[in-house]
Formats: sequence, C-alpha cells, structure tokens
Amino acid sequence: MDDRLKETLSAMMDDEADELSVRRLLSQQGQDELRSQFQRWQQVRDLIQRRHPAVESIDVSDSVRDALDGHDRSPGRGEVAVLPPKRKWQWSAAAMVALALAVGFSAGTGWDSAPVTAEQPAASGIPELAIQGLDEQQQEQLSRYLLQHAQHNSFGAGHASMGYARAVSASGVR
Amino acid sequence: MVSQALMIRGRVARLATRWMLAALAVTLAPLSLASDDESRDPGYWLQQLEPALTRTSYKGVFVYARGDQVSSMQIAHRFRNGMVEERLVMQDGQVGEIVRKGMDVVCVLPKHGRMELSSTIPSGPFAEVFASQLMPVDRWYRPEITGRDRIAGHNVVRLALNARDSLRYSHQLWLEASTGLPLKGKVLSMSGDVLEYFHFTSLTISDSLPDREFMIQSEGREVSRRLEPHSAAEPGKNMEGWTLGWKPEGFRPAAAPRSGSGKAVAFSDGLASFSVFVEAAAGTEMPSGTSRIGATTVYMQRLEKNSEVYLVTVVGEIPLETALRVAESVDIEDSAVLGASLR
Repeated sequence: MDDRLKETLSAMMDDEADELSVRRLLSQQGQDELRSQFQRWQQVRDLIQRRHPAVESIDVSDSVRDALDGHDRSPGRGEVAVLPPKRKWQWSAAAMVALALAVGFSAGTGWDSAPVTAEQPAASGIPELAIQGLDEQQQEQLSRYLLQHAQHNSFGAGHASMGYARAVSASGVR
Repeated sequence: MVSQALMIRGRVARLATRWMLAALAVTLAPLSLASDDESRDPGYWLQQLEPALTRTSYKGVFVYARGDQVSSMQIAHRFRNGMVEERLVMQDGQVGEIVRKGMDVVCVLPKHGRMELSSTIPSGPFAEVFASQLMPVDRWYRPEITGRDRIAGHNVVRLALNARDSLRYSHQLWLEASTGLPLKGKVLSMSGDVLEYFHFTSLTISDSLPDREFMIQSEGREVSRRLEPHSAAEPGKNMEGWTLGWKPEGFRPAAAPRSGSGKAVAFSDGLASFSVFVEAAAGTEMPSGTSRIGATTVYMQRLEKNSEVYLVTVVGEIPLETALRVAESVDIEDSAVLGASLR
C-alpha cells in the first residue's frame, strides 16, 4: 500500500477525503490489506478516545461505493453493476454515510461550515476588484455608474422600487 | 418605427379588452376569480407584470438582498390621474427616502451617503420600448408556473423564468394572485445560486392610500430632478461617438441619458438590463477589472484608440462573461464627440 492510499485512508477517517480519492481507494486490488489498516487505525483511535471498539469485519467498501454512486448519477453506474456481489452487511447507503459522518465528526476537532458564496469565480485573467480597495474618488465613480444603471432599470422597466433598492443598496457599499 | 407603433396599438387594444373583461369579471362573477387564476398561463402573468407594477396601489415593507447585504425598505405606490406616485423609505441605517411623482423625483439622502443624485439622475430621454410586454420575454426565458404559495399574507403564483442561454440569469417571481404584483423575486445564476432577491414581509393593496404616504417626511439634504420623457423614438441613436459590435441576443437599446458627463446606453431583454458607459479616461483613474454585488456585474476596461484612452464600463444584471464580451466589442468611432463631453 503506498503512502498516497494511506493518506486517503487517514483522510477518510477524518471525513476529509474527497470522492475521487475514495473511489481510487476502493478500486485498489489489496482490499484486505486496506481494510485491516483501516480497522487498526480505528481501533487505535477508539482506544485513545475510550470508545467502544470498532466492529470487526464490516466490509463498508460496497456501501461506500453505493453511497458515492447515489450522489453521482453520471456515467459509471454500469461499471458498478458488474462488480461481484460480496456484500457481507446489507447496510443502507444512507446509514453508512451517516456512520461515516458521525465518526468523522466525533473524531474531528469541530466542523467549520464553509460559507456559501453566491459569487462565481471570475473568468481567468480578469482581476477581481474589491470595492473596499478603491479610493474615494473611484468609489464615487463606481457608485455613479451603479446608480445610473439602477435608474435605467427603474424608470424603464417599471421596476421603480427595485431600481431604487439597487441604488440605495449600492450607496451602502463601502 | 412602424412595427413598434403597431405593437403599441395592439397592446392598447389588448389592454382595453383586458380592462373591459376585468370590469365584467368584477361585477358579474367575483367568486370565479380563484378558478380563473388556476387556468391562467405564464403568458398572462408576463403580460400582467408591467401594468401590475405600475397600476397597483399598495404599501408595504420588503427586504432586498444582494451579495451579503440585506436592507429593508418601506414602499408606498399608487397610480392616480395617469401618474405614478411612489415613496421609498430606507428602514435600516441612515435615514433616507425617495419620493417620485410622475417624472419628478425628490431624494432625501443620508448625510454621508454616496448617492450623488444631482449629477446622476439623467434628464432623459427614456424610451418607451423598455416596457416589458413589448419584449418577447419568452424567447429568451422559459416561463413556467411552478406552484402556488403565500407571501406576506397574500396568495401568490410562482413563475419561473429560466434563461434559455448562458448569456443571462434566470429569474423567479412570486406574483400576487389577483393583481399580478411581484411580492418576491429572485435572480439565479446558471448553477442555481441566488444572487439577489427581494421579499415583501408586509403588504396592503388598497386604492385609498392617504396622500401623506406620498409626502417627504424626513429631514435632510434634498435633491430634486425632473425626468423629461423621451421625444425621439430611436434610442439606439444615442451611442454618440462609439458603437457596440456585439450584444447578447434579445437585448435592445432602451434608454440613454444625455445629461452628465458620461455617454451611456442601456439595453434590456425585458427582464434583465445592462448599461454601457464610454468615457474619455481623464480625471479619475479607474482600475480595470470586475466587481460583483449580488446579481449586478461591473466590468471596467480601458480602451485605446488613436493614442487616446477611454474607459469602458458595463454594469448590469448579467453574467460576467456577457459583460466582458459587451465591453470588448465597444469601438470608438468619433473621439471628438466623446472628448467634447468632458467637463
């Protein structure tokens, strides 16, 4: 087992592995070796954290694979169908994911939800202007443009209130 | 334009028919309203949009959010003697209000606000073509009624307007069931992120709003301006000294203020709009780049022609890629005209 896989496995324990690496991990030949490594780490961690020992001999690979496929309905489903059925535990994918999450959460140092930003990344090569970074005069100029545009909106389209709301909102930009 | 005149005439006829039908419906069968609203197609609601926004008398409070800013505003609106009267009062932060009576606008502004209306309210002209029903909105958006809901205590119809291409954003509107007035609206990116929304939290629809609802009530610096209606019906002519080589399909020139130092033209597809400003780059040095506030994209770029530098700015509720292409297609034809507009 190479270091990269160990890294993925470790990341999986902390619920930080990305889908691609988990897939790579699951497609490895030496599944038994992986499983035992995972279990060893799990046990060590459980010992350290004084929790119930990890249940031995649970093969989660299929369930995790299913869970992944449940998220991803793009090509690749056919591939799953030809895999030999070696399911030892008929756990639902959802339960599996819930468990994985629970483990990940309790093991982790806390959960920081990434702030959802509505802004898309700028197309490559275009500098993103922070309005805060502009000087007074530049801000004024920008406000003037925003306001003028808002007014095109408001009187033209009849969205008077919306246009003004935009203008007022623009004036609040600091 | 003949075709425009025909369209307007057709619209007037349709409006007249609609009002007659509406009057009939109100007098004869007030109870059948609910079932009527069930059977109405998206086209009806789209047509209803502009008259609903103009002719409905209402007052209420709405929140408006773009990016990470949320503001709440109080609004009163009525249509009397063929004239729109409106008062908008900011509810958060510094006191400020905007009162509009027909084409007269008075703004009471926060002391340290950045709204310099004296130089920015253009004296027109505004093109009639902007009215949304003259635009075949459904050519660029796929209208679909996606359900019914309740907003601010009113029954609403939910209308989705999904962009048919990636040049514009999608919209969602929650329209009050009897008047068609939008009580909630969202602007969505291609990936479905909400870029901007407004949402009424309280609303009264009433034809008897007292006059004081439309009077300035706060103290502060007042700026008033009269908007001159557009006389010549050729809005595209206002691009003095420059031309646009490309614009997203469906966007038509809509308004071009002549006052102020800038040369601006607005374009609209009936729902979204953008403005293009072309100025000789003298005075304030502006950086090139883009900035986004909610659904509004600002893209600025310098343009050199005959050893003169110009600043091209595109502002609009359009994706960055669209703004970029528009800005890049600007061509300076007559530098003297643009140069002459400098103060």
